[in-house]
Amino acid sequence: MQTILIIEDDPVIREELALLLENEGFSPRCVTDFSDVPRQVLQAAPDLVLLDLGLPGRDGAALCAAIRRASRVPVTFVTSRDSAADELRALSLGGDDYITKPYNIPVLLARIRAVLRRGGGPAAPDTLEAAGLTLRLSRGTAHAGGKTAELTRNELKILSCLMARPGQIVSRADLIDALWDSRIYIDDNTLSVNMTRLRAKLEEIGLPGYIKTRRGMGYQI
Amino acid sequence: MTLGEFLSDRLGSLLLQLTCAGISALFLWASGTQPGVLVILLLALLPVYAGAQLAVFLRRRARLEELTAILDRLDQPYLFPECVPPPAGLYERRLFDLARRACRAMTGAVSDAQAAQREYREYVEQWVHEIKTPITAARLVCRPLEGEVRRRLSCELEQIEAHVERALFYARAESPERDCVLRQTGLSEIAAQAIQAHRTLLIQSGVRVETRGLDCQVYTDRKWAVFILGQLLQNAARYRGESPAVTVSAQPLGKQVRLTVADNGIGIPAHELPRVFDRGFTGSNGRRSGGPGPAGGSTGMGLYLCRRLSRFLELGLSIDSEEGRGTAVTLTFPSREALGRPSGPAPQ
Repeated sequence: MQTILIIEDDPVIREELALLLENEGFSPRCVTDFSDVPRQVLQAAPDLVLLDLGLPGRDGAALCAAIRRASRVPVTFVTSRDSAADELRALSLGGDDYITKPYNIPVLLARIRAVLRRGGGPAAPDTLEAAGLTLRLSRGTAHAGGKTAELTRNELKILSCLMARPGQIVSRADLIDALWDSRIYIDDNTLSVNMTRLRAKLEEIGLPGYIKTRRGMGYQI
Repeated sequence: MTLGEFLSDRLGSLLLQLTCAGISALFLWASGTQPGVLVILLLALLPVYAGAQLAVFLRRRARLEELTAILDRLDQPYLFPECVPPPAGLYERRLFDLARRACRAMTGAVSDAQAAQREYREYVEQWVHEIKTPITAARLVCRPLEGEVRRRLSCELEQIEAHVERALFYARAESPERDCVLRQTGLSEIAAQAIQAHRTLLIQSGVRVETRGLDCQVYTDRKWAVFILGQLLQNAARYRGESPAVTVSAQPLGKQVRLTVADNGIGIPAHELPRVFDRGFTGSNGRRSGGPGPAGGSTGMGLYLCRRLSRFLELGLSIDSEEGRGTAVTLTFPSREALGRPSGPAPQ
């Protein structure tokens, strides 16, 4: 499990962020005493540091430089200061990414994963399997019983979203949210159209009724 | 100043001098001077007198021209009395002293006002940064909530963010050069960030967003371009019609790139179209859609800020609309060469 060190002075954000990262399968640690941060970074030996630039009485950029001197750990800045000068300065001092508050949570998670991958962490799995169907994400194909179906980008995203949570009910709104995360900006009607086509393709490879409709709640595999 | 103006201004003193010459001639004639001698005397005096008047006229005209030239060269015309060569005559010197005293008072008032405005702007910026912390916290807090409540809260939070952003950019628009970094940016990145920033509003409003041909590069300030595009997307969601859709598309135009945001919303009446970029203009649509919720009330600030910022970024901004059919806003990004300016905003 990858450790993420949160250096953030606002207690609500710190705790909620820790909770969020824990739910997402990371192991978060929090810094609450800002007196000797570089030493704490060395002790925690995290895979990533989330550093707030606006710590009380400390200059976050200088802190990053101090962390850089002590360790090669990737540093992602999280800050409410969004001026171009702040961003350039922070990145020139050895930051790996710069995220401005208030961030969109899926975007934050995606960028954390991207920095971790650059740092040589485990890559996201390329195949998903659930209830007799194998999904190859990079090829965009679904395989079942020796038959193969080619999926469009939208269909692939819908299916992978459902297969990532087998047995759970995924609401239409959650599906739309997930699609928007992947820059597919569809509305409710388009989702219905895509869902119909996807079901037809799954039927062709021998899986009719693979996606169950739970009336008024959403879809389920 | 023309010669005529000069003479009419000095009419009183001219008449007085003529009267004096007449009385003197009368006196000399009465005391026995030959009329021929008198004529010679008057003829000799006339050119001397006229020459003196002409010299005064020319000197004054030259002085006025010099002062006008100095005033025209000044960036801040109210500093004029501080910048002129000291006048020679006593009367002019006194006038200048008075003007200088008046202008010093005004210079003080101007710099006080500038300082107050700068402080206010700094306060707004600081306030905006501070308010972002609780907004971020609220986003994190409402994440584990049950679906519909979370979505509605997210939508409201997004509205708060949008208002806060407008306040920030309004403060920044006062001196945009302080925070402007022109660099190469992918249009798709700009569009993705703008859509992302307003996604809850767009999703809740049932808007389908199509992007087309955005794989080109532009030279601009990314943050500001995202803000401008965000305003356009918010308008598309706010003034939507049946089965709303927005198309964000780009096409290269020589070395320029043209970005169009087209919706199928309720459109803008033709007679209101020329005023939509005015500050505080809400129009009949804005007034109709007032009230809270994803529809939101119009502030009349979005497009006004778009125009101000695009002028500074040298973006072309034009709007085209047909009532009941939709609205299309076009942003024309300049080529890199066209931006090779020595960053010259309005003189201070």
